[in-house]
Amino acid sequence: MNAVEIKNLSKNFGSKQAVCGLDMTVPMGAIYGFIGENGSGKSTTEKMICGLIPTSGGSIKLYGKDYTDEAVRSKIGVLIESPGCFPGLTVWDNMMIQAANLNIPDAEREVVKVLKTVRMEGAAGNKFKNCSLGMKQRVGIAMALLGNPTLLVLDEPLNGLDADGMRIMREVFLDVVSDGKRSIIVSSHLLGELQKVATHYGIIRHGKMICEMTADELDASCRTYVALKTGEMNRSKMLLGCKYSRVEEDEAGYIRVYDLITPEEIVSYLYENGICVTEIMTDKIGLEEYYIDLMKGGK
Amino acid sequence: MTKELKFESPTFMQRIKGMLGVDFYRLFHTPLFYIFLCIAAIIPAMVSCLTMMPDANGNTMEPLYSNVWQIIAASEPLYVIRTIADYANMNMVFIFGGIMVSIFIGHDYKSGYVKQLFTTHAKKQGYMISKTLVCAFAMACMCITYFIGGTIGGLIAGYETTVNVGSLIIAILGKIIMSLGWASLYTLLNIIFRRYFGISIASSFFFGTGILIIGAAAVVENLSIPTGFLNIFLYGASVNACLVSNVGTLIICIVVSVAWTCLYNFLGTKILSRSDVY
Repeated sequence: MNAVEIKNLSKNFGSKQAVCGLDMTVPMGAIYGFIGENGSGKSTTEKMICGLIPTSGGSIKLYGKDYTDEAVRSKIGVLIESPGCFPGLTVWDNMMIQAANLNIPDAEREVVKVLKTVRMEGAAGNKFKNCSLGMKQRVGIAMALLGNPTLLVLDEPLNGLDADGMRIMREVFLDVVSDGKRSIIVSSHLLGELQKVATHYGIIRHGKMICEMTADELDASCRTYVALKTGEMNRSKMLLGCKYSRVEEDEAGYIRVYDLITPEEIVSYLYENGICVTEIMTDKIGLEEYYIDLMKGGK
Repeated sequence: MTKELKFESPTFMQRIKGMLGVDFYRLFHTPLFYIFLCIAAIIPAMVSCLTMMPDANGNTMEPLYSNVWQIIAASEPLYVIRTIADYANMNMVFIFGGIMVSIFIGHDYKSGYVKQLFTTHAKKQGYMISKTLVCAFAMACMCITYFIGGTIGGLIAGYETTVNVGSLIIAILGKIIMSLGWASLYTLLNIIFRRYFGISIASSFFFGTGILIIGAAAVVENLSIPTGFLNIFLYGASVNACLVSNVGTLIICIVVSVAWTCLYNFLGTKILSRSDVY
């Protein structure tokens, strides 16, 4: 049984088709990185999973049950677009409201626990409107974590978080799925961060799922490259460009050669042309580059 | 060993309890409720007292009322108003209440909290019921502070106090019961106009003033048709609860309030079930 199983999902807003024929599978225990450009249909899909907007067609199953089933819906933690907090109330009050919503018996203890998890216990008395963006995100995640949810649906949860916040979120995500039953769907444009925790990926474009894969499959399909620096970068780039099909200069100033070649081959080729290699290494492209390649149709 | 996942459907009572918990917590933890309680107390006190205050020449206005309790309820059912005194009574609470409900529900949407609510609560009926009950409670409290403010103001102004106590109590109870119907109407209006906060407030104000029924009453009066049938409407039944009320008046208030509440809750649930949550 999968945590989420979507078949042929569609959503129309008037004549505009936001999601069309989308299939998606989130296994139990997965951290599912849901990736796509702005307006690709990520948030719409997440809202349909949460039952916030009715579907125009297709089916959504959550843990084998229809997404409208109250039992399974009551175990979804959500952070979509905004934390959903009342700005004039304190962080504590907002958490207590959510605890009341979820009928949590020992609300105060549970609220303290989740606030500690996201390192916000010291700011419980702050009014929500006075919190920084990062603090607000943490509160939003704490609200989503209340009631020990089975499925977390998080839309851009990493926005505004500092390095420590990102690290905490990674720990929280890994802790949530540690029992192998609970799952997380997380959409983010911070692909580097997402790659550190995601076990599965789904890439959506124009409302359609163009690719679903595990982290291992992504790793296997990511192209290797040789990155190097020489004493004559421009000439090196020109020479390598003549010999190999794809040669680029990256943001750090390295020349990247993407063909299946060994560093030794490049070193000897440049040496024969009178160029000395000062630095050289092999690496793999990350999720971000893979995604950009995919969007360009370059893969 | 991994623990088994258990999914238990919340009962109807659990759903309502959760929603009521949220709404009552918000009501008591935000200044909005207390501000409107004060408004409901101050306005009748001011209306009673201001007419007794002398102007620069030492002249006072013609008193609006002759009796303390006329600020609470009209002397008789007055569907068509001729003076401000015919209008200014506890029915004004339903206007203040409409604005309060608009702000209260509007914040649900503005803050994005509805996403939390509607994710965990698949059935929308609980939202309508909870909002109606909590807002009716708030308006009932406003009726009480209105009564206190109006009474103090009337006593300060020196109006006479003779009244049929039974009718007065029935009138107040009737208006408190009508709070339920009004709260459900405002909840429905705010769900219809949930994306337009300003229109929500304007529509609540518009319906709360009872302009439609006052207009209808004027037409009915000109056509020499008995105005009693206007009691089937919220404003009509609210006006009907006056200083000559009897048990029949109370029954009308209960039936009308509950009937409209059921209808508005049904419509609100249908609209919510078919609409997107933003």
